[in-house]
This record gives sequence, structure tokens and C-alpha cells, in this order.
Amino acid sequence: MIDFARVQKELVECSKDSEGSGIKVSQKSDDLVQLIGTIPGPIGTPYDGGTFQIDITLPEGYPFEPPKMQFKTKVWHPNISSQSGAICLDILKDQWSPALTLKTALLSVQALLSAPQPDDPQDAVVAQQYLKDYQTFVSTARYWTESFAKTSTRGIEDKVQKLVEMGFPEAQVRNILEAVGGDENLALERLL
Amino acid sequence: MVSDSISAVPIPSAANTKNPGKKKRTNRSAKLKQYKIDARREQWLSQGVVKSKGCKDGVDDDVVHAPPPSVNHGKHSLEPLNTRREGEEDDGLIHHDSDSESPTNCPAGVLCGNDSGTNFTGSSSGGSSSSSSSSSSGGCCSGNITEEEGEEEEEEGEDDDDGCLDDWEAMADALAADDKHENPCSDSPPVVLPREGSNLESPNSKPESSRLVPWGSGSSRAWRADDAFRPQSLPNLSKQHSMPNPDRRCVGGVPWARVSTPSSCPICCEDLDLTDTSFLPCFCGFRLCLFCHKRILEEDGRCPGCRKPYECEPVETEASVHGGSLTLRLARSCSMIERS
Repeated sequence: MIDFARVQKELVECSKDSEGSGIKVSQKSDDLVQLIGTIPGPIGTPYDGGTFQIDITLPEGYPFEPPKMQFKTKVWHPNISSQSGAICLDILKDQWSPALTLKTALLSVQALLSAPQPDDPQDAVVAQQYLKDYQTFVSTARYWTESFAKTSTRGIEDKVQKLVEMGFPEAQVRNILEAVGGDENLALERLL
Repeated sequence: MVSDSISAVPIPSAANTKNPGKKKRTNRSAKLKQYKIDARREQWLSQGVVKSKGCKDGVDDDVVHAPPPSVNHGKHSLEPLNTRREGEEDDGLIHHDSDSESPTNCPAGVLCGNDSGTNFTGSSSGGSSSSSSSSSSGGCCSGNITEEEGEEEEEEGEDDDDGCLDDWEAMADALAADDKHENPCSDSPPVVLPREGSNLESPNSKPESSRLVPWGSGSSRAWRADDAFRPQSLPNLSKQHSMPNPDRRCVGGVPWARVSTPSSCPICCEDLDLTDTSFLPCFCGFRLCLFCHKRILEEDGRCPGCRKPYECEPVETEASVHGGSLTLRLARSCSMIERS
């Protein structure tokens, strides 16, 4: 049986200081089992500027069992599946403690974005890229952030359209945009 | 008389041999709250045992207040005690004889000690037996030597000290066992052990002997918050307001411990009740309510605060250690009895 009193309290406390941390937890359904967490990409990382949504499912035993968390927003990270969004983080598994909360868990996920652990990967392809070609990794991660995690800007399609209107072939535009991590100006420089 | 002592003593000791089993059963099945209260009381009781050793030295001082008559029975209960004393050599075992010689059937040595505060007023035999049982289980066997006879009997009394002490422990443990048995649901330890010594908290009483008083006190009133002997496990209403209480929290030295005791359980967010606030299951100082603690013990078994296994529970381990040593000592005294 989920301790709803606690979940409710967590939601309240989280909304209290969501301005400071940028971390939000909101209800997806009325039953407090399905929640959505939102974390900002850490500053100074390829995820900077992105807003990442995380699906949270509370198990029956919460808070004695860890909440199930999965990235809803696509993200390019060695410890997060680029396919499913599954997160490889110890505190969401065996190192969970009932003293942790949804907010602290989301903070840990945010910290994971800043400090990838390629030795214990969730996504082997990303981890290989991280280890062997860090620059490409950064570009790809930034591109994915631009493409999927920036809800405020209108996304990559806008930029593609803009550059295509300038007279560049769409396929090339897409490739270069991806290579430079979605940065419109960098892409333009490359194209010229 | 010797045969008397032999026949009399096994009664409390028989209760003692059952005691460990009882304890275990209680530990497993009883509610955690009761479990803790018992553990605390036991711990406290064994401290009382230690203190009673110191008490032997202060025979003369104890005489003043050791035969603790209640106000209304003071004269009556003193008299039988004295007359009986003249006929017998003073000795802790014999002392208990008089308990079981009395018509009250026994577990009586045990039960009378417990209940005398409430029911002894009825029967005349109860009067004498309860006065003696109260003084004996009050922890100070030597204290029963009355002033006139104290000098003559001091040598003998010293010889019998060990027997006295063992027997006192037997009584104490039996009392604890009996409490558990009879009052499995009681939430208030002081009510369980009312005896008629309560009026004797004289200001000039020696600390050693006065430490023993609480088990004889409180027959007619509850613990006051400022009672020096008040068991710490008791709910303290003023404690809620007087937090932080530094003495109780300096154990860990970990941030959890330094933060003032939370008013609600960090796990379930329910308010911590008064038992919970005095519950410190882990050395790291992380506090939680007993229900969450129990649940964690059933599943993960690790402290949420430090993730270390919950094996070392200060409260319960201490209690069981004390209990263990108590049982050991009691076993020794039992075997002595069997030999004689």
C-alpha cells in the first residue's frame, strides 16, 4: 500500500521550492501512482537548457521500495537508455533508502546528467562513444537536447526549415545540424 | 528453617526459568511498542540490581526507610516484621519464606510483590507478607534489619549477602516476567508495579537506596516529570516542548542526530508519538517511528539514514545483554538452591 500521506506531502514540499531547484513533480493521474518529474539540464553540460521529463511510477511498497523512473524525454547519455529512457542509477535500485524522496531522487538523476558513469552503462553505444569519441558524444547529446528537451524553442524542425529556405539541401542541413548539436549559427557556418 | 528456604525459593526461580522463553515469545509476537517498553524496563531494572549492591553498605541508613510501610499501615506492618525477626535469624532467603508461608498461594512471592499495593489491605496475612515482600523486592534485603537487631546480625547478614542478592535478582526478574505476563497491553510501567513505598521518598535518603524507591513508589500517583527515578521510556509530555534534549541525542554525532528530533516520522510522515521520540534504533541517530522501523526490519533491514544493517540496536541489545547477564546470574543461584 502506497503511503499517500507521504506522497502528498512530498508533492507539496516539492512545489514549494520548485523555483529554486527547478525540479517539479506533478500528478499524471488522480491516484498518485503515476507522476511526472521535470528536471532542468545541468548548466555547463550538453543538456544545458533542456527540460527533461521523467515518468515516475510509485510501486506498492513506496517509500520502502524505490520509485520507478524513466526518461520520457529522449536523452543521449551513457547511463540512460536512448531507446527506452531507462535509468541506471543505484539509488533507484539497491541503494534506495526510504529516507530519500522523489525530489532527492530527481536531484540524483540531475546529478547523473552532469557526471556520466560510462563504466557502468545503460546504453552501450552511447558509453562507447563517450569513451572513444567524446567530442561526438557531446555534439550528439547537445543535438538531442536541442531536438527533444527544448520545449520552449520550437525545436529542430524550425531550424531545418529556416536553413532550407536559405537554399541548402534538407538532408545536408539535417546532418550538419545534428553534427553541431543543433546550433543554428554553427550549422550555418559549416554550410557556408 | 532451612527447609523453608529451600521450599520457598524455587517459586520465584521457577518463574525465572520460564522467563527467557517468555521473553523471546514476547519479543516475536508482541507489538513493537510494548516490546520496547519491556526492554527499557528490564534494562532499568537491571540497573536497579547493580545499585542494590551498593545498598548493602548503607545498612544503617537504609533502616530508616527500608521497611517501607505506607502511612496507614506503618505501625502494623513494622510490628510483625520485628517480632518475626526476633525469632529468626535475619537472612534474605528466610525473608522470603515469610512471604510464601503466608496463606496467599504463590507465585505469591512474585504476585504479592506486584499487587500488594492494590490488594494487601484486605487480609491480615497480606499485611505482613506485603510489607516484607515490598521491602525485599524493593531491592534492599539488608535494609530489613531493624535498628535494634542490626548490630547483632550484621555478621550473619554479611555472610548471606550473596544469597540475598541472588534472591533479590530472582525477585526482580520474576517481577519483570510477571509484568509482561499479566499486563501485556499495559502502556504505563509505573502502574504495573505499585507498592507501598511511595511515601518514603524522604529528602535525606541516600542516593543508592533512593534509587530503589521508584519500584516501590507510585502506588497512588503517576510519575511526575521531575521525578529523578522516572524511567526514561515513559512518555514525557513536557519533552515535546523542551526539545531539543541534548542528553538523548548526542549518541551518533551524525547530522541526523544533531538536527532536533523530528516531530514526524521522515518515512511515513506520521507524527512521532512519545515512545517514538525516545526510540533511537541506529547509532547514526536517524529516527523513525516504530512501525516504519518494524517494516524495514522485515524487508531491507538497513537504516534509512546510513544504509547500515540494523543489527546493532542500542536499546534492544543493551536490554538483552542485561537480561542475559541477569539470567546467567539467576541460573547460578538456582543451581545453588538445587544443590542445597
